[in-house]
Amino acid sequence: MKQDSLKYTFKTYRLDHLYLPAAFLALFMIICMFRLEPDDLFDMSRAYLGAVIPLVGGIMASYAILDDPALELRFGTPARAEHLLVERLGLIFLIQVMCATIFQVFVTTIGADLSPLGSFWRIQLAWFIPTISLMSLGCLGSLISAQTMTGTFLTSLIWLIELLARGWLACNSGKYFLVFMGALMADHPDLTANQITLTVLTFLFLIFSWLLLRKQEQYI
Amino acid sequence: MISIKSLSKTYKSNGHVVNALNHLDLEIGGGMFGLLGPNGAGKTTLMRILAGIVNASNGSVKINGNDLATDNGKTAVKSILGYLPQELGMYPELSARQFVDYMAILKGLDDPSHRKLQVDKVLEMVGLLAEADRKIKGFSGGMKRRVGIAQALVNNPKLLIVDEPTAGLDPEERIRFRNLLVTLASDRTVLLSTHIVEDIGQTCRDLAVLSHGQVLFRGSPSELTQNANGHVWLYTTDSMEKPNHNLTVVSMLHLTEGIQYRLVGESAGDYPDAKQVQAGLEDGYVWLMKSAGQSVDAM
Repeated sequence: MKQDSLKYTFKTYRLDHLYLPAAFLALFMIICMFRLEPDDLFDMSRAYLGAVIPLVGGIMASYAILDDPALELRFGTPARAEHLLVERLGLIFLIQVMCATIFQVFVTTIGADLSPLGSFWRIQLAWFIPTISLMSLGCLGSLISAQTMTGTFLTSLIWLIELLARGWLACNSGKYFLVFMGALMADHPDLTANQITLTVLTFLFLIFSWLLLRKQEQYI
Repeated sequence: MISIKSLSKTYKSNGHVVNALNHLDLEIGGGMFGLLGPNGAGKTTLMRILAGIVNASNGSVKINGNDLATDNGKTAVKSILGYLPQELGMYPELSARQFVDYMAILKGLDDPSHRKLQVDKVLEMVGLLAEADRKIKGFSGGMKRRVGIAQALVNNPKLLIVDEPTAGLDPEERIRFRNLLVTLASDRTVLLSTHIVEDIGQTCRDLAVLSHGQVLFRGSPSELTQNANGHVWLYTTDSMEKPNHNLTVVSMLHLTEGIQYRLVGESAGDYPDAKQVQAGLEDGYVWLMKSAGQSVDAM
């Protein structure tokens, strides 16, 4: 993406959409400050990284494309669908990266030990994989129905079902689709297979989103 | 330049199939071309198809030989296109200069120095250079429309499509906007879609009237006007009862001697005092719609 285009990607982003990730980040940082028991601190940290960041990313991705006020004007330009997808989802992903980084630096500073999640890269995968999965799901959901609310609803529903049924899902074929496995079941023997499956699903969702976005008339 | 053959567009709305365009044929050359028609005639759908945003259900559209049914054709058309949609959405936090600059980037103007020159040039053309660094959220409706036309012009398009551009503008802005479009049409094709007859009469030498997704008339404004000659009357009465007998009231004027009605219809035989007068473009449009069996009883 060109530098000038990137500049306007930031400038055209609605600042009120930052309230949601900022509020959750602030909330979890405050909770962590007062929960000084090491086990509690670890639980809160993995809950934020592995569950809250993906949910927020998914919800924000539902609004990424269709909330653009100048969508019809954009469609009248030769700019390609993949450009729009990368530009809008990339920015939302960047916000999640910043939240995850700030939070990890913060909890490490106050003494949290995230090593039960694995190596440094394993810790990063624990929030990265579910985040891109739910982001692509939210984006696809909103594009399929041409409604931002559908993407939000779908993301929240999958998130809630998987969170409530995570124990059951981890014992059968659902283990490959359990987005929280990296954060909540870091020692699960099928973690790698789970993360590969979710990554493949993410690519599939993004390809479907791209195909849908090429049919511009549904979104004006 | 634009060749439309047997173009149809159907879509579903609330479970019903809507025929927005119905086997429409049209050839459009250079200069200013007007597209007139009532709301729901299919004008916006046609504009969106020509802009490469909406796909045709049937038929073919070629612009400068580029077939809009293909991806390559669409991309080629969009690179020579300036488009101002009816519902103009913008980024309120950007200044006019930033917005036009952003649209220029999306249109592929990659060289920053050339782009800056081009942005300043179009902002000057629309009279916004002095306000270029103000945020769009503080602009009036007319100023936003001018930003809209500036972004449409920034890539120096060979085809300019403007959909209902004067809606919501005050009279001074409308005149200014119309004059700008005429100036622009000197070296490109400008497609003006509107339901305001006066806008077409003041700007276009060539026009088409659309109704129910079909071309009802194709010709010049004077030809459309001439068709109504012999079918327009002025009738003054002190009665409060509106003239009827299959006549359409085009306008009403309160005078000291009563109310003066301007009537369009097949015959005003039931009103012996009615005086036949020269038709205007609006009369021509009303007569055309009436002849085609369309309801135009707006008053």
